[in-house]
Amino acid sequence: MKTDAVIIGGGVAGLWCAGELARLGFQSLIVEKRPYAGGHVGRYCCKATDQCQRCGACLLEDVLAEVEKSDRINCLLRANVLTAARTDGLFSLTLSQLPTRIHPDTCNRCGKCLDVCPVPGALERSPSDNTIFLNEESCLFYKDGTCQACAETCRENAVTLEGSAGELQVNARVVVLASGFKAFDPLEKPRFGYGRVPGVITGLELDTMLRTDNFDVGQGETEIRSVGFIQCVGSRDPKIGRNYCSRVCCGYALRLARLLRHRFPGMEPSMFYMDIQTFDRDFERRLAEASREVRLIRAIPAEIRVGSDNRPELIYQGPNEQRVFESFDVVVLSVGISPDPSLASLGEVFGVGANQDSFLGREHDDVCTGSSGVFVAGTAQGPKSIEETVSHAIRTAGEAASYLKRIDRGEES
Amino acid sequence: MKVPPLESIFLNRAPRPEVRDLHRVLVIGGDGTGRNLAARLTREGFEVLLVGDTDDLQLPPGAGLLREATVREVQGFVGGFDVTFSFSSGSATERVGLVVAAQPAQNVPKYTDYGIHPAERVISLSELEAVLRSGGALIKPRGERLHVVFLCGLAGESDPGLFARVFDAIDNLCKTAVAQPYVFTRHVKVAASGLERRYREVREGGTLFFKFDAAGPVFAPTPDGLTIIFTDPLLGLEMELVPDLLVVDEYHQPPSSLKPLLDAIPSAAVTAPFLQPESTRFSGVRTPKVGILALGAARDNFGPDSAESDIAAAVVAASTLNLDENPPGLPGPPVIDPAKCTICLTCVRLCPHGAISFQKRADVDAVSCMRCGICAVECPMQAITLAPVAGEPDIMSKIAAGLAQARGAGKITAFLCTRSAARAMESAGARIRESFSPIVVPCAGTVDPLHILTAFREGASGVLVAGCHTGNCASIYGTVLAAGRAEQTRLMLEDAGVDPGRFMFTTLASNTPGDFIRAVLKLERNIQGIAPSES
Repeated sequence: MKTDAVIIGGGVAGLWCAGELARLGFQSLIVEKRPYAGGHVGRYCCKATDQCQRCGACLLEDVLAEVEKSDRINCLLRANVLTAARTDGLFSLTLSQLPTRIHPDTCNRCGKCLDVCPVPGALERSPSDNTIFLNEESCLFYKDGTCQACAETCRENAVTLEGSAGELQVNARVVVLASGFKAFDPLEKPRFGYGRVPGVITGLELDTMLRTDNFDVGQGETEIRSVGFIQCVGSRDPKIGRNYCSRVCCGYALRLARLLRHRFPGMEPSMFYMDIQTFDRDFERRLAEASREVRLIRAIPAEIRVGSDNRPELIYQGPNEQRVFESFDVVVLSVGISPDPSLASLGEVFGVGANQDSFLGREHDDVCTGSSGVFVAGTAQGPKSIEETVSHAIRTAGEAASYLKRIDRGEES
Repeated sequence: MKVPPLESIFLNRAPRPEVRDLHRVLVIGGDGTGRNLAARLTREGFEVLLVGDTDDLQLPPGAGLLREATVREVQGFVGGFDVTFSFSSGSATERVGLVVAAQPAQNVPKYTDYGIHPAERVISLSELEAVLRSGGALIKPRGERLHVVFLCGLAGESDPGLFARVFDAIDNLCKTAVAQPYVFTRHVKVAASGLERRYREVREGGTLFFKFDAAGPVFAPTPDGLTIIFTDPLLGLEMELVPDLLVVDEYHQPPSSLKPLLDAIPSAAVTAPFLQPESTRFSGVRTPKVGILALGAARDNFGPDSAESDIAAAVVAASTLNLDENPPGLPGPPVIDPAKCTICLTCVRLCPHGAISFQKRADVDAVSCMRCGICAVECPMQAITLAPVAGEPDIMSKIAAGLAQARGAGKITAFLCTRSAARAMESAGARIRESFSPIVVPCAGTVDPLHILTAFREGASGVLVAGCHTGNCASIYGTVLAAGRAEQTRLMLEDAGVDPGRFMFTTLASNTPGDFIRAVLKLERNIQGIAPSES
């Protein structure tokens, strides 16, 4: 297979980059490891109250529609890069692609396979459109062949478990690394009680629950009313190797808090912060508006533990240096953007080093990597909001296109 | 959100260009961003005309420079803008294909906000930067160290761009003097590459940061400067500090030279003082008018890395303009019937994209027109029609056909905006589809009350109009117009003897099929609650 650009990653960065490259006249092949495109943004909910809150999540729907229509863009799902070599300015890549396990055309999305699957997470529904996917890393069939419950249950014969990965060869003149990020794992900060204290969730989990209409506030005595957002979890924290601001958390927490208030008028959100980052035009006014709906507390809790009423209890320093103990119904950890573990191997395959914060490429949101013909787009390079990611992907497409035109003119090797 | 007021008509009098030439680009703004953009565009093969004061006369070959020229008026459309400049000696008009606003921000020091006055020891950040750049003499310290206080976002919010400048200034300051810097702020803005690291380095280097929550410092004048009186936010102690130099931060304001560009885009009346709406629908440096681009100050983009990003986006935008007059899948451009047109200029005033010019009659430029259809529904004489999408019937036929096919519960006609509701519908699943008959429209702002009444006349039990959230409309105020029209429609329905509960207007996003399903179910319940003797 031959193309102008191979784009590693089918999230919003990779998709938008492909879209711009297509407009600039170039072909691309998107290589996406999951069975669906959209990456993280496909799990985010719309944050609109009575107005759009400019979170950018619906930009994914815009770009998906465009990419589907374009005849200059191909997308390989369930695919990974195994090796890459570069000779005479041409990249030859070997890709591995897993076969489709649940055929989207035959599957009627009834979900009976999900009911019988013994392993949580081995089968999942896409938050965007309810299609069902199989994750081989968790599935028992691929560990020891012991379970075929889904295939046996499916009345539409939509499940094919047999068959192993195939290999493909692709030649390209340009490679774009758009492999995204990993949300910070709050288990790395055990004092916040994630996984130990009931009622402690991450911002990403809240986003996904709202997107899939799975956030149940309950009723009466058990109704969720107080929600505490903790900022900078996994950001601005040199002791755990995160000496950077993740840029998106103040924005997403305040938007989520306001969305909760709008949807569930009894909600009382609070936000624990160090500094509040600007994320909107006319931010002074917007922050004043937000502070009327969200209680803002300038302190990061030292600890979260199980309170006497089984709700999460926060311990933080109050304004007069006294210790404050306060319980919430739900605590949301605003986890930051961390480098995805695949970046190291991806960097090795393409000769791209890590920057100071262990993301791929260079500082200052550069799209060039120092490795000829290899560019980076989106959060693979460092933390960015969705809008910033789109701007970045446009920039990457521009640089890649300029580079391709220079090759055509014989100015590059 | 308002719509452009009646007084806001700027008349675009230039006809559609017969020949469009995208090769020539006007870049307004002579500072770093403008010059770098000019250089990049020239490398990509464009011919650049640069307007603005610049000290650096080393322009890329092929770039023309107009110094001391002010843009007065921008007429016309992409590929054929007629831009009028005035000079000290007169005026001139140039034809260009694209117009790019790349002027630097006006940096307005916040003296009044802090209640202080510029003085020998009280200067703005820009002034300090100029002194440090030129190697000029700094004010003398009163003691051993030069105590320099930086006010950063104490009054009026700041941003990472400001903090990057302050960290740079502190670094440069410490190279030229034995200094003790202080930063007085509310929130340290570090949401940019490398800025948190720099913040810690500056702090570890000895700069003292005071972060205020409620009451900020008070400035008391002294014979040769002023004293800062404040309560230390951490220790709670009352303190006084007499700085050798007080450096005041600045507002980045869009330059007043944006006015002629704002005039050329009708919807800019709503987005002013910026050329680009804040909406996520406008990516990169695009504005609602095709061929006009907005960088930096023109779109409120001030991060430390934003100039490079905007320049790259401008080059891409210049290289990817779509001049297709008949893009597939969209209705035809509006046709204005000269027999009915009374030259009220409503369409000219309301077109969010500035696609309508006026010579003897209103004239639509098919390339600039985004087919939102707002002009057609707002025209008081109903003189404007859009041809249906190629191969599809017109909207009235679609309404009738949809209802004829519907059975039972499906007799709700749903007008769905293509950018949001139609996509939400596709993700909503097959089951809900039986409840309604969809009519996909380019914008909720183009749904005419006539269409709604027609649906009821053709047998609809209910009508739903669904568009994008306010602030997310690709036609800027299409949703706002639609909401206003929904009110009118309810009154019309009452007059016609139809219970207005059969009509619903709602906004949603393309990624919320749940909202779509809930709206349809709610309308169904409303309809069921209405007495069956209603027709």
